[in-house]
Amino acid sequence: MSIIKVTNLQKYFKVAKHQRGLWGSLRSLITREYEPVRAVDGISFEIQPGELIGYLGPNGAGKSTTIKILTGLLVPSGGEVLVNGYVPWRERRRYVARIGAVFGQRTTLWWDLPVIESLDLLKHIYQIPAEQYRRNLAEFRELLQLDAFLNTPVRSLSLGQRMRADICAALLHNPDLLFLDEPTIGLDVVAKERIRQFIRHINQERGTTVILTTHDLSDVAKLCRRVMIIDRGQLLFDGRLGALQHRFGGRRELVVDLADDYPHAGVDGARIAHRDGQRVTYQFEPGHITASELIGRISARYRILDLAVREPDIEATIRRIYEERLLEKTGPMLGSNGYR
Amino acid sequence: MWFTVNIYRRLIAVQLKAQLQYRAAFLLEIAAAAITLFMFFGALALVFHRFGQLGGWSLAEVAFLWGLVELAFGLMDLTFSGFDPGDFGQRVRKGSFDQILLRPLSPTLQLLGADFPVRRLGRIIQGGVILWIALALLDLTWTPLKLAYLPLVLVSQIGFFGGLFIIGATITFWTVESIEAINIFTYGGSELIAYPMHIYPAGLRRFFTYIIPAAFLNYYPALFLLDKPDPFHLPAWTPCLTPVAGFGLLGLALLFWRFGIRYYQSTGT
Repeated sequence: MSIIKVTNLQKYFKVAKHQRGLWGSLRSLITREYEPVRAVDGISFEIQPGELIGYLGPNGAGKSTTIKILTGLLVPSGGEVLVNGYVPWRERRRYVARIGAVFGQRTTLWWDLPVIESLDLLKHIYQIPAEQYRRNLAEFRELLQLDAFLNTPVRSLSLGQRMRADICAALLHNPDLLFLDEPTIGLDVVAKERIRQFIRHINQERGTTVILTTHDLSDVAKLCRRVMIIDRGQLLFDGRLGALQHRFGGRRELVVDLADDYPHAGVDGARIAHRDGQRVTYQFEPGHITASELIGRISARYRILDLAVREPDIEATIRRIYEERLLEKTGPMLGSNGYR
Repeated sequence: MWFTVNIYRRLIAVQLKAQLQYRAAFLLEIAAAAITLFMFFGALALVFHRFGQLGGWSLAEVAFLWGLVELAFGLMDLTFSGFDPGDFGQRVRKGSFDQILLRPLSPTLQLLGADFPVRRLGRIIQGGVILWIALALLDLTWTPLKLAYLPLVLVSQIGFFGGLFIIGATITFWTVESIEAINIFTYGGSELIAYPMHIYPAGLRRFFTYIIPAAFLNYYPALFLLDKPDPFHLPAWTPCLTPVAGFGLLGLALLFWRFGIRYYQSTGT
């Protein structure tokens, strides 16, 4: 039984057309012309309990519209959504009692109150049994290291502290499903890592289903087995990150320190991506030539002092996919790797 | 029901606790209210010194109208502040209304508990003191009916202004540019009914009687309580319309509020 089932989901917005000039703006006071914008244009997917999904897409792709529909904030224009047995927007209050949601840019906590008082208030709002509250709080205090600022008003917290407090707040009522929207935005490396570890812990130890939207692809690379990519309202990829990288990640790099300033350092099967004196960076396609073959060819012509192989970076891959619209050209990759 | 009361109590307690941190603002507001009180009486006394009366009403009678509205508006502002159109518009624009929809609680309850500005006590005390002075000067003949009627008028006015706040807040789902226009009805309306309605031009008076039924909330109750004749000869049961107008408007406002939330959920921000 899937915990989320989305079928042909659509959301159209009407956006007022901008009229040009003085006459235009006067006219738009009386009659406004609207243009439909397809924020989500027919997407379908299923998520099984216990999955940890990365939901990616460039800005304005329809990512946050989807999340808003899944959390019951927005009513879609068409299609069906069943989450945890509920139609989110129809039985909103009962539904949201069983989910947790953290929107990185905003806090659910009371701005002027110490963190602990906000948490206590949420205990009453969600009607959390005292024993469960006590146990959860003890666990989260340790894992998220909340003790240092539990009695600090939320307005005085650093971004990382606030995010940890918000994540704790979203989980006290043992939700079946956790939505995390940009949970690591603006955080330093250490803080990011702490939050990632916690997300992994919750997913593995409690079996909480997690849907993560993020701009930080290292979040996804470290946490998610399954990735969904949306662009222009359509789901373009749904599968393992590895499959994506295999198909589009393409070029690996070989960085070589040569023993001399050879005027032409070129070899067959690789192109020179960058050259800085004796240091040459070759790019090559894994399907065409192996790293050892390439090293062989180079060392046959030039003397090598040192070398390193660089794997393609997911961040660059995904950026290329967005920019060059690779998935649109080659057709979406859906349901690969046994999903669906 | 018990759950609702309990949560409301906790939400308010939290607001009080948070505001204890801003003691200076609280004291300043009280001081400002005291100064306003003197200025009001000073200005009004000057007017009455020059003209002797206002539309046939004495200083004490006008002070009764003024004090009652001030008290009611202050109490409304204390309890309905979460719906203050300016603040609420900000909330919608910043997207923090989403946080309210993400909690398993009625949005109305959450907004009633979202703000409880204690500093408004200044205005409440000021209204209360003026009303008390007016009553002391007026030497009314109290009957049991009048004793029961006065609190009903107060509560109806709170409901009425609360309804206007809710309507104003709801409009910000569509546009935040019209907040000033909305304030004309809430703040303007409360200023307007602080004086006897018959001093206004007929058009304005009819607007605030039949379109926005503000006249039934203060002027007609005052006619009844002060035993004054109605210059417009409305039926004798007109004072009974006070709770109808007050709670009727609040009820309509809550319906509109629900409709507005549904609109918000279909468009987002």
